[in-house]
Amino acid sequence: MNEVRRLLPDLRSASGPASPERLAERGFDQALTKAWAMSSQAIIDEVTASGIKGRGGAAFPTGLKWSSVNKAEGQTKYVVMNADESELGTFKDRVLLEEDPLGALVGLLIAAHAVGARKAFCYIRGEYREVEQMLAKAIDTLTQLGWAGPGRIDVEIRRGAGAYIAGEETALFNSIEGKRPEPRVKPPFPTNKGLWGSPTLIQNVETLANVAILFAHDAQWFAEYGTKATAGTKLVALSGHIQRPGVYEVPFGMALADILNAPDLGGGVAGSGRLRAVLLGGAAGTFLSPDEVAQSQLDYASLGAFGASIGSGAVMVFDDTVDLQWVLTKLARFFADESCGQCVPCRIGTQRIWEIAEKGGLWTRTEDLRELGQAMRDASICGLGQTAPLALLSILDRPGLRQDV
Amino acid sequence: MDTQDLAINTEVAALLQGMPRDRSQLLPALWRVVDRYQELTPGVIDAVSQSLNIPYAEVYGVASFYTLFDNAPGKVPVHICTDVMCALQGAGSLQEAAEDAALGRPVAVRESACLGQCDHAPAAWIGSQVMRRATPEAVRAAVKAVGHE
Repeated sequence: MNEVRRLLPDLRSASGPASPERLAERGFDQALTKAWAMSSQAIIDEVTASGIKGRGGAAFPTGLKWSSVNKAEGQTKYVVMNADESELGTFKDRVLLEEDPLGALVGLLIAAHAVGARKAFCYIRGEYREVEQMLAKAIDTLTQLGWAGPGRIDVEIRRGAGAYIAGEETALFNSIEGKRPEPRVKPPFPTNKGLWGSPTLIQNVETLANVAILFAHDAQWFAEYGTKATAGTKLVALSGHIQRPGVYEVPFGMALADILNAPDLGGGVAGSGRLRAVLLGGAAGTFLSPDEVAQSQLDYASLGAFGASIGSGAVMVFDDTVDLQWVLTKLARFFADESCGQCVPCRIGTQRIWEIAEKGGLWTRTEDLRELGQAMRDASICGLGQTAPLALLSILDRPGLRQDV
Repeated sequence: MDTQDLAINTEVAALLQGMPRDRSQLLPALWRVVDRYQELTPGVIDAVSQSLNIPYAEVYGVASFYTLFDNAPGKVPVHICTDVMCALQGAGSLQEAAEDAALGRPVAVRESACLGQCDHAPAAWIGSQVMRRATPEAVRAAVKAVGHE
């Protein structure tokens, strides 16, 4: 057995995902009771000791973020769950919220309690209407049990309306505030000035679920899986030419090849059965060749050696019949469509890359593309523009992947 | 103001009743009116503007940013995910089937970016329901059922 189930609930569980029975069964009621008896500093120390890093893609140390918000000056503070998962090949937060919505919410409540926030938002993409209903049920359960609600910690769902950029943390704040979801210039960082200029703690769904299972147990239990550098487990989302597409929870440090091939995980490459490449981390991820896949483990240092990162945990598998120019053209169109247009490097850059792709110039205008990509990385306001060229650049660095089909 | 505008203003005011008159309520307010009217016409935007006391240009600026508010007049949107993972699993044939079935019906077929259903590709999103591992037949039937639920 390679698959772990800690963030994801036991498959044998018969309780409703949003029910009080599930809360007890998962130990989340104890997690809340335990956290409520602790000081802010003790909670933050425990999160720091666990070594949890942000699971939305940036892998920022969670304890450090909490500590910054806790220390920031301000009468009012906010916490936000970022469930605006809208990136190609990324669907792990959807599955996590479908199967165990209470976990992420319990993490959110513990976060609010730790930093002294009385108001929490869950920002969820508008395409996830059914998931939103599950989340609402879970909030009702926590309200009925007295953990959430007005006078305690008020948890409000905000539904996005089809804007990928709204998942960028400062754009998300603008969206909640009723403004156009355009990213803000950082610094100031959200930990000091987030929602309505107040210190705000914003975390990905999976990060918060990690907090819940941490407090249902302890840091030592938490580190039973994972590597020395990165404790715990990660949700990976397998899609494309793979026998068993889906979301799997695996320990950090697992070989990428095992994730693709183990019978209880990916089950092997589908389609032609011969691997052309894996796009790891999302639309702004890195293409890895079969050789690199064979040498990689799911950990930041191992992947860093190939210029790759785990990102959101998206693992998109392409067999050798797929024309990667076609994939890159799709990605280019996505970013050109989703650029908010606020800053020039991203607005023009994403458009130019798309045009070059449409005209079939991806393999020939490599110097132009590198220069353009560098300008976007250097000068864009937010992560969208900075990372939009990454997948393309990763292929320019791997001539072996550039063969024609 | 003609009688139609007056009617919309009254209706929108009723829809938004009970919501705090606060800028932060703009997105939830827009969802309420979109669920009712589908299309955000200038008349509807004006009514939201008056009801929440937010300038028309600001409401328009926010509303026009979001893809899911950009609906064709009088048509129910049918979203077909044509992003990479769904395209690999036959999204093209879903799109054709949907467009074919939509002829003469109050349905607008739209290409959608990733719907986050890559493990059940190809996916479509019709009304409040996401169709997983959709087939052309299932999409055709769902398009024909629009307005008959």
